[in-house]
Order: sequence, then structure tokens, then C-alpha cells
Amino acid sequence: MNANQTGAALLLDGRRDDDPTLALAHDALADGLAAGGWAVDDWTLRDDKIAWCAGCFKCWTQTPGVCAHHDEGRTVAERWTRSDLTVLLTPVTFGGYSSELKKALDHVLPILQPFMQKRRGETRHPQRYARRRDLLVVGAVPAGQAEGPEAVTFRRLVERNTLNMQPPRWAVGVLESGAGDWEVRVAVDGLLAEVGVKPARDAVGAGRREVVA
Amino acid sequence: MSAPRKALLLVGSPKPGASTSESLGAYLFEELEKRGVATQTMHVAKAVRTEETVEELRAAASSADLIVLSFPLYIDSLPAPTIRALEVLAEPPVGPAAFVAICQSGFPEVDHNEVAVEICRHFAEDAGFEWAGGLILAAGGMIGGQPLRKLQGMMRSAIKALDLTAEALAAGRSVPDEAVQLMAKPPIPKIGYRFMANWGWRSQFKKRGRGGSLKDQPYA
Repeated sequence: MNANQTGAALLLDGRRDDDPTLALAHDALADGLAAGGWAVDDWTLRDDKIAWCAGCFKCWTQTPGVCAHHDEGRTVAERWTRSDLTVLLTPVTFGGYSSELKKALDHVLPILQPFMQKRRGETRHPQRYARRRDLLVVGAVPAGQAEGPEAVTFRRLVERNTLNMQPPRWAVGVLESGAGDWEVRVAVDGLLAEVGVKPARDAVGAGRREVVA
Repeated sequence: MSAPRKALLLVGSPKPGASTSESLGAYLFEELEKRGVATQTMHVAKAVRTEETVEELRAAASSADLIVLSFPLYIDSLPAPTIRALEVLAEPPVGPAAFVAICQSGFPEVDHNEVAVEICRHFAEDAGFEWAGGLILAAGGMIGGQPLRKLQGMMRSAIKALDLTAEALAAGRSVPDEAVQLMAKPPIPKIGYRFMANWGWRSQFKKRGRGGSLKDQPYA
């Protein structure tokens, strides 16, 4: 996609509670995407019962590309595949994703093929679909910990995800609890810009460095 | 850490049947039992199902001196129910047991698993546990949920690693570096493992597949 193209965005909202910073981030993401002309599939995961991925590999060996579970988990791969941009929102949980986000993320396995190939020194599964989507990940940590060890692990995790999912563009941001509405919007707009989304509002600019590393 | 009297194995695989994570954990716990440690095993996918089972999980964790979490790698991290289990153990913290992680994946390189073990270390610190080390097994597909003792020769490095780990943990010491290195040793050359894995997927599809191809694109 070129710099200002619009498209379909899947927003996987992995909040476990009503954390104010993540609530602001959610609204800034949804509003920013909508303002930029994007169609947003805004999915609050805690509202849906999604069975844990059982690791049965039926999505590889029985019905390739389709999860065997007959619940909302089955729609994850479809909604992911049909998006141009996937946005993950989560409290940084021990340096990783929340269980709410992960219960959906575990169901993206069928977007990969089962085969193993060596790629840049490591074994990887090939992509099932030629068309890729960009990836934006936004997490929140307690105040003063945007450069802390869990934030560092979080960024490493996102980087590992990108090695396997191969998004054309990706960005990761870590917000600190207690950040105000303006700070969050500036940070989110900066991150959206990194994946080619230009929100039609005047918020991008100074201040991003204070809340996003 | 001190020598444990009671150890809790948390099986992090969401699989309802036999799993490689359980094979690894079960072997380690048999070795701990031989050394006089009382053991208990819980499957996290069941343990996080209801408020009652969560309380059982928290009670088991708070009464243990040593907790071992054995889990498969899911999307570069821990499976969702395993993360859920860690969340409930940290809210509020139930420490101060020693905590060990064993992470295995189907990839033949251990690099894929390092972030997941790092997440476990952060959890241990946040939940008031004492981090006692992590082991990573690559090429977990070689075990395929079978008991480790049945495989013996092929998995001798992993078995030796777990023997050393049991000896150290039972004596109140952390996972030794030698065990970490032995566990990380691929059981067969990576190129051979990839060949076997790809053959295995094709073979499974022939038996179980419902038409089409392994490369089907249902949402194209």
C-alpha cells in the first residue's frame, strides 16, 4: 500500500479491564483509523467466548486454512486475512500479550502453511496467502516502565511475530499508564503513521517520545 | 532457594490428550519423586476454567516449594490458557516458591522460544516467585507426546538435561547451565528434521485431509 491508502483494519482489543490508558489508546486507534478513511473491524475480545486453540493442527492437516473449532475463534484467521492492517491492543503482561488477546492470536496459525523452510538462518512456516497485512501493536505498562525489562521483552516478542508473519510494515508502541488523552493520541497517531495511516486530525507532532519508546 | 519438599507441575499444553510438554514435565517429576520430593500435576487449561478451579490452582501453587511450568510455544509466546494461569497466580502474588520453565516447540532452533522463557522469568519476578531457570527443547515433534523413557537414545540429551535438573532442584539449586545446553542440543540435524516434518504433514493430510491441498487458501 502507498503512504495514504485506506483499507480494512482489524483491531484486536485484548484489554482485560477498563484500564484508562488502554481505553484512551483504543479510542485513539479506532478514531484515528476511521478519520483516515479506514473501515475498522473493532473486536473487543473479552466480550466473546473463544475456545483455546487446542494445538490439534486440524487447521493444517484436515481442513487447511480453517480452524476446527466452531466458535468465534474460527473467524480470526478469516478476519485477519481479509484485513490490510491488523492492530493489537494489550496490557503488557509479563512482557507479552494478555490472555484475552492471546486467545484470539493463537487462532492465526492457519494463515501459515505447515511446511518448514529455512529462511535467513531460521526455520519458518511459509505464508498461506501471498498478500500480507501491516501490523501495529500497542501495549501499556505501569508509569515509568516504557524502557523497563518487560517493555523490552514486549518489543522483542513483536519482532519475533513479524519474522513469522512477515508484515510489509510494522510498528510497536508502549504507552505508560497515566498518560493523558492528548499524549496518547499523539503517540497513537505517530504509530499509525508508521504503518501508512494518516489520521485526518491534527495530533501528530511533539510529545510522542515521552510516552512511546 | 532451599531444597523443596513439595513440587507442582503445571502442564501448559491445551491439548486434551498426551502432550510433549507433559512428557517432559512428567519425566522431571518422576526424577524429583525418586529424590524424595512430593509432587502434584495440574493442567492449566482445566485449572483456569472456573473460579473454583482457579482457587485450587492458587492453593496448590501457594503450598508448593517448587513450581515447574512445562508448555509449548504458541505464536512466539505461551498459549492463552497458560498466560491466563500466570495472570491469576500474579493477582495477587502467591509466591515465594522457586519457579522453573520448560518451553518446547516444533522448530529445530531454540531461538524461537527465548522470548517465551523471558516472559516466564518476568512472571516469576512479578508474582513473588524465585526464578530458578528455564530449559528450551527444540524439535519437540520428535517426542510427539510419547513418554520420554520410551524414546531413550534419540532423546538422550534431553533426558540427561532433565536428570541434571532434577538433581539440582532437589538439592535446592537452580537449573544448571549444563542442563540448559544439553536440552538445547537438536536430537537430529536440522535439515533432516525439516525433511521429516514436511513428510509428516503430507502424510497426515493424506490420512485426515478432507480434500483440497495443504496449501488451500479458503479466504483468498
